[in-house]
Amino acid sequence: MLALRLLLAALGGWLLGLLLGRLWLGVALVLAAMLAWELLRLLRLVAWLRRNSDEHAPESSGPWGDAVALILRLYRRKRYHKQRLLRVLRELRQSTAAMPDGVVVLNPQAEMLWFNRTAARLLSLRGRGDVGLRIENLVRYPEFVHYLRSGDYSNPVVVRTTSGTDLHISMQMVPYGAGQSLLLVRDVTRQAQLEAMRKDFVANASHELRSPLTVIAGYLETLAQDPALDPVLAPPLAEMQRQGQRMNAILSDLLELSKLEASEREVVGEPIDVAALLAQLRQDVLARAVHPGQVQLQVDSAQQLIGDPAQIHSAFGNLVDNAAKYTPASGSITLRWWSDAEGGHLSVTDTGVGIAPEHIPRLTERFYRADPGRSRVTGGSGLGLAIVKHVLQRHGAQLAIDSTEGQGSRFTCHFPPQRLHVAPQSSRAAAL
Amino acid sequence: MSRHSLRGPLRYSRAMEAADLSHHTSRRFNEDLERVRTKVLAMGGFVEEQLHRALTALVEGDSTLGQSVAMEDYKVNGMEVSIDEECSRILATRAPTAGDLRLVVATIKTITDLERIGDECEKVGLIAARLANVERPVDRYREVKHLGRTLQVIMHDTLDAFARMDADLALRTARQDRIVDEEYEAIQRQSITFMMEDPRQIRRALDIMWVVRSLERVGDHAKNICEYVIYMVHGKDVRHTSLDAIERELKDRGAQRR
Repeated sequence: MLALRLLLAALGGWLLGLLLGRLWLGVALVLAAMLAWELLRLLRLVAWLRRNSDEHAPESSGPWGDAVALILRLYRRKRYHKQRLLRVLRELRQSTAAMPDGVVVLNPQAEMLWFNRTAARLLSLRGRGDVGLRIENLVRYPEFVHYLRSGDYSNPVVVRTTSGTDLHISMQMVPYGAGQSLLLVRDVTRQAQLEAMRKDFVANASHELRSPLTVIAGYLETLAQDPALDPVLAPPLAEMQRQGQRMNAILSDLLELSKLEASEREVVGEPIDVAALLAQLRQDVLARAVHPGQVQLQVDSAQQLIGDPAQIHSAFGNLVDNAAKYTPASGSITLRWWSDAEGGHLSVTDTGVGIAPEHIPRLTERFYRADPGRSRVTGGSGLGLAIVKHVLQRHGAQLAIDSTEGQGSRFTCHFPPQRLHVAPQSSRAAAL
Repeated sequence: MSRHSLRGPLRYSRAMEAADLSHHTSRRFNEDLERVRTKVLAMGGFVEEQLHRALTALVEGDSTLGQSVAMEDYKVNGMEVSIDEECSRILATRAPTAGDLRLVVATIKTITDLERIGDECEKVGLIAARLANVERPVDRYREVKHLGRTLQVIMHDTLDAFARMDADLALRTARQDRIVDEEYEAIQRQSITFMMEDPRQIRRALDIMWVVRSLERVGDHAKNICEYVIYMVHGKDVRHTSLDAIERELKDRGAQRR
């Protein structure tokens, strides 16, 4: 086709040349005119492409026309794909936007790239204006900032909003892709309220049960001392008194537990002389009517422990109490306090009955009994280890339990190094 | 005032935009400024929390909480010192100009006010711990609670304005200070009535006076921070100027820009 046109043009040029008398000039003139015409069409095509719109396509035939048609096809295909992608994207955004949970997309610098309406409402973010800002600049709750920097996102963090409506918000970071993260935001106000109600209920119920119990215990005591009492009634009365005391102990422990639960922050506390505390606990054990033959004290560290004295006393007391209860008179208990690079450690080792391995993970649950029959005889409240666990949690410490059935158990409390305090020289000298 | 200086400080908040990064010869400089801003807001967040806890301690009569607020004030002071040092370092090593300079200067002033707010929270915490041991009035400090709520919202908006470089929000928040002053007056009158009715209440009423006085100061400091934000965005010192005058000026400027 093109060859034919060139040939025709050359022939025309030749004829023109013949007419002018100069053969090659005629051919050159016609070819130049053709070139100019083709250039013009090329320029038109470029101008059309530059407009970046598929309207007003230049009309032409020949190869230019084919090129225009092909470009138009590319255009349309691109537009079709773009629209499809946009539709999918819009649907995706609409679905995430409609999610009941808040979602914020963060880049590695924790700058917000996108968030849905729920997140904007819960975190009081503002439409588009806040995109690109660092999230911690607008969500400033210290717990959240700490959580964000810690890099440990295995658990969500729960904060209480301090301005406007009173909400409890749970937030969890989910890292994905190249350093990006998704922040899931949930309103957990209702759960928090239910939890608070539960705690309040336990505290109030134990408190309310106490007064009638005091009256009953008082009359039982008077009755038991009555000389005119039928001797047949003496054993049941004594048993009633014992059970009354036990109920009282359970209520005290429940109250203590609910108090511990009420504030979840770590305690600051003051230095505690662990050696003196253990010595006193040892005396308490030896003062029992039935007690293990040997109670050894091993203090390998002069460091003091920083904590709440009453809580620490209660936790250690419960551990020692348990050991004393489950160790026969022929057995022994060892109390040991030592410290190393990992922090302070306190262990209570006994040669008592021991605990079967399947019970160990559940021991710190409330009212969990490894052996229901026996514990009723020993008269514990069933809350001792739960109290220990809560006290240790509030001191950043952990409880480790090792036990072999029939040979004895060891309960160890591991305190972090920042909980240790070097005792002043004078008191150490006094201890020596 | 040129457009350039208006756009200057806004660009840190848009660190993502590559065009803005090229504004500074050094990317590290931008990061330094951004880090300082984040630190100021972290400090602000902690102070907000302190205020919230101090007020909770007062209203719920929680003496442990009140004491822990007072004990944790040292953290606020520590943050102030650390940010101050960082600002001095930036001034010395980077010699910032225009909007950058205003950001650093406003930051130094802002942390001073934040630290003072922290001190006021400490006072409220201590008084709350003391008041927890005496019987609470029937209204359970309703008025103080309301004032506290207002202030918490003001604090939040102030820091939001700082984070977003939003002069309009700063101006609106600065106006709220008048409400705080009115509530302060009202509680003062009420306390005087209480004291006259029942002299046994004088001690408690005086304590409450100290609390609301502290809260009123918190409002003043928040207003100062709002003024620094306006300074930072518009390069105009608006301290000791009436808010109406500021608003007129900002409007004129907005009209010019358009």
